[in-house]
Amino acid sequence: MFFPTLLDFLFRGLEMSAPIAFCALGAVFCEKSGVVNIALEGFLSVTAFTVVWGSIAFQSVWMGLAFAVASGVLMSLMHAVATVTFRVNQIVSGVALNTLAVGVGRFLSQKVFEQETQSAANSYMFPTVLHINSFTFVLIPVVAACWFVLYKTVFGLRLRTVGENPEAADTLGISVNSLRYVGVIMSGVMCGLAAMVLYPSKWVNGMTGGRGYIALAALIFGRWHPVYAVLAALLFGYADTFRIMFESKIPIPSQFVQMLPYVLAIVVLVAVRGKSRAPAADGIPYEKGE
Amino acid sequence: MTLLKMDGITKVFPGVRANDQVTFDLAPGEIHALVGENGAGKTTLMKILYGLYRPDSGTIRLRDQAVAIKNPRDAIARGIGMVHQHFMLVPPFSVLENIILGKESQTAGVLRLEEPAREITEIMNRNGLPVDLTARVEDLPVGLQQRVEILKVLYRGAEVLVFDEPTAVLTPQEVVELFKTFRMMRDQGKGLIFISHKLDEVLDIADRITVIRRGQVVKTLLRAEASKPLIAELMVGKPVFLHVDKPPAAPGAVILEVRGLRQRSPRGHLVLEDLSLEVRAGEIYGLAGVEGNGQSELVRAITEAVRLESGDVLLEEQSILAWDVRTRRDRGIGHIPEDRHRYGLLLPFSLAENLVLGRHHRSPFVRGSVVDFARMRAYARESIEKYDIRTPSELTPAHALSGGNQQKLIVAREMRFDPILLVASQPTRGVDVGATEFIYQQLVEARSRGKAVLLVSADLDEVLSLSDRIGVIFKGRIIREFRQEEATKEQVGLCMTGEKRSA
Ligand SMILES: Nc1ncnc2c1ncn2[C@@H]1O[C@H](COP(=O)(O)OP(=O)(O)OP(=O)(O)O)[C@@H](O)[C@H]1O
Ligand SMILES: [Mg+2]
Repeated sequence: MFFPTLLDFLFRGLEMSAPIAFCALGAVFCEKSGVVNIALEGFLSVTAFTVVWGSIAFQSVWMGLAFAVASGVLMSLMHAVATVTFRVNQIVSGVALNTLAVGVGRFLSQKVFEQETQSAANSYMFPTVLHINSFTFVLIPVVAACWFVLYKTVFGLRLRTVGENPEAADTLGISVNSLRYVGVIMSGVMCGLAAMVLYPSKWVNGMTGGRGYIALAALIFGRWHPVYAVLAALLFGYADTFRIMFESKIPIPSQFVQMLPYVLAIVVLVAVRGKSRAPAADGIPYEKGE
Repeated sequence: MTLLKMDGITKVFPGVRANDQVTFDLAPGEIHALVGENGAGKTTLMKILYGLYRPDSGTIRLRDQAVAIKNPRDAIARGIGMVHQHFMLVPPFSVLENIILGKESQTAGVLRLEEPAREITEIMNRNGLPVDLTARVEDLPVGLQQRVEILKVLYRGAEVLVFDEPTAVLTPQEVVELFKTFRMMRDQGKGLIFISHKLDEVLDIADRITVIRRGQVVKTLLRAEASKPLIAELMVGKPVFLHVDKPPAAPGAVILEVRGLRQRSPRGHLVLEDLSLEVRAGEIYGLAGVEGNGQSELVRAITEAVRLESGDVLLEEQSILAWDVRTRRDRGIGHIPEDRHRYGLLLPFSLAENLVLGRHHRSPFVRGSVVDFARMRAYARESIEKYDIRTPSELTPAHALSGGNQQKLIVAREMRFDPILLVASQPTRGVDVGATEFIYQQLVEARSRGKAVLLVSADLDEVLSLSDRIGVIFKGRIIREFRQEEATKEQVGLCMTGEKRSA
C-alpha cells in the first residue's frame, strides 16, 4: 500500500513539475540574454490551447506539438519585437501579452469549438508510461541540452554576454539584438513543450493556474541556472502534487493547503533574497552609444 | 611607412563640433599621445577609428590603403584594438572567457578552451602581462582588469592599439608596470595611441604628442620639443600655472576628529583598524595611500551613516555617528565623492537641479513646499559663470557634460554650500590640467576661509603639493603623519607600501 503510493507520488510529481520546469528553462534563456519575460503565463495559456487545436484538427499529436511550438514562437516574437527592436519596457510588454493571451484562448475556442471556456475532448495524446504522460521524460535530455548550450558553446557564451554587458558585446562585434531575439524566442519554444505535458485531454480556460509565474520564482530560486531552476521547479511541482494527493486526508481547511505552492514560492524568494543575482543587464533595453 | 592616417575627420553632435578636420597619424613602433581638455574630442576621434561612431567626413588609411570602418567588427578585422575609458568586461565571467569572447575557438559551435589558453599564455609572457586565466574578472583589482582588456586586444592580433585614459584608474606602481608593457609592444612594432590628462606620464612615454582643442588639432609635437608648460598652454589656449600658490597655514580649532575607528568588511576582515586623525580649521589634511587601504571606508564613515565596530567621529566636538546623511550635510559636511557618476550626480537631471541637490529642500530653493525654479536657475547661472562650467545652458542634463565639467559642477555645488568640513575624494580624477588647476585653487581658497579639508587622492603629487599635513594610510590605519615641509615623495611613497622607518 505504501510503496505504490510513494511511486505514484514520485511520478505524478514529475509530471506536475515538468510544465513549470520547461517554462523556467525558457525563462533562463530569455533572461540570460537580458530580457525579462513575465508573459510566460500568457504564452503557456496560448500553447495549451493550440496543442489541443492542432491535435484535433490534424488528428495527430505531432501536429499538436507543431502548433504549440509555433504559437509559442509567435507570442515570443511579439515580446521580442516590442522589447528588443522598439525597446518597450519589458514588464509593460509582458503584462500586455498576458492580458492578450487570455482573450486569444477564449476567442479561438469560441471560433474553433464553439464554446468559450473549454475545448472538445482530445484523444490524440502521447502514450502514457508509468501512469504519466511520456512527454514528461523529454525534460531530462532537454535540461542537459540547455546546460550544454549555455555553458559549453560559443552561442551560450555570447548569449550570456549580451545579458551581462551588451555594450561590451557590441564593442567585440557581437550582435546584441539578434541574440536577444533568440533568447526570447527560446522562451516561446519552451512554453510550447510545457503545454505538451500540461494539457490533459482537453483545454479549459485558466488551466495554467499560475504555472508561468511559478516558473519565474523557480528561475530566481534557481539562480538563473538551467539545472537549479529545474530543481526549483521540481520543488514547486512536488508541493502541488502533495496538495492534490493528500488534501482530503489532512485536517486543515483545503483553502490553506491549496495555497501551499504559492506560499512556498514567496518564502523561498524571501529566503534567497540577495543571494541570487540576475544577469547585470536583465530588464534593461539596450541602446547603442550614438 | 605610416601604419595609420586619419585625414580631415569631422564629427558633429547636436550643438557641438566634437571633431573638426582632425588629421592624425601613427607609425609602427610608435607611441603617439593624444591630449586635450575635457570635451576636446579625443574619445570621439578614437570611437570613429574603432567604428563606434561614423564620421561626417574624412578618410582613414591603414598602411596607405583607404578603409571604411563601419563597426567594431571591421576595426578588429583590420587590426585595430581599443582599451576603453570605461572597461568593457563581463564581471562574472572568467578571465579566459572575457579574452576569447567574439573570437572563440570552436568545433561545430562547441567552445574549445585549451588552445586559446595556450596562445594567451604565450601573449602574456611576451608582453609582461601575467593574469590567472581561471580567476573571475569581478574578483580582480582594477589594474589586473585592465590587463585583461589589453590581452583581449592583443589576442585579436591588433597592430594599432588605442588606450583611452588607461592610467586614470591605476596606482603609481601599476602605471609603471603598464608602461613597461607599452614599451614591449612598441618594440614589437605595434603602434600605440595613448590618451591621458597627466602630462608627466605623456612626457615619460610618448614619442609624439598631438594636442587638440575644441575638436581641432592645435599641434603635433615631437617628444624632444615638448615640455609640460608648453603642452598645457597649447591645450588650454593660455598659459597655465601648474604650481599651487598657497599662503602659509593658520590652523585653528579641531573641526574633524576621528577616534579609533574599527570596521570589518562584509567578508569579515578588518578594513579600518583603530584609525585616528584630526583635521583643523584652515588646514588641508592629505591622505596618501595605495588604493584599497581603507580610504573609501573612512570617507564613508564621515559622510554616511555606516555601522562601525568601535570608534567615534566628531564634528566640532560633537559625535556625528547617529546623524543621517541629511543631518551631516545640514551641519556642514561637504563631500566630493570619488565616483562622480554613482554618488555625485543624477545624470539625467539638469545642471541646475544637480547644483542644488542636498539643499533642494531648504530656502532659498523652496517656498513653502514648492520648488522655486526661477531662483534655482538663477543660482545655477551664477555658479556656471563663477566656476567656469562649459555647458550650452543650465538646463542641459548632467550626462551631456564632459567628465571634467561634471567634476566642476560637483565642486561648485559643494563649495557654494559653504561647508565647515570638505571631504574631497579623488577631486581631479580624469580632469584636464586647466580644470585641475581650478579645483586646486578652490581647495586652497576653502582653507583660507578657515574650512577644514580632508583630501583623499591616489595622486601622490597632488597630496604633496596641496596638503599641510599628510597621513599615510596602510591596512586601515594611519601609520605615519608628515608635515608638508618634511615630506618627500620618496619617503611618503615608501611609507605607503607599509615600510614605517623610525619616525
Ligand atoms: N554621444 C554623444 N552625444 C552628444 N554629444 C557628445 C557625445 N559624445 C561626445 N559628445 C560631445 O562631444 C564633445 C567631445 O567629447 P569627447 O568625449 O570626445 O571628449 P574627450 O576629449 O574624450 O573628453 P574627456 O577628457 O573628458 O574624456 C563633448 O562636447 C561632448 O559633450
Ligand atoms: Mg574621453
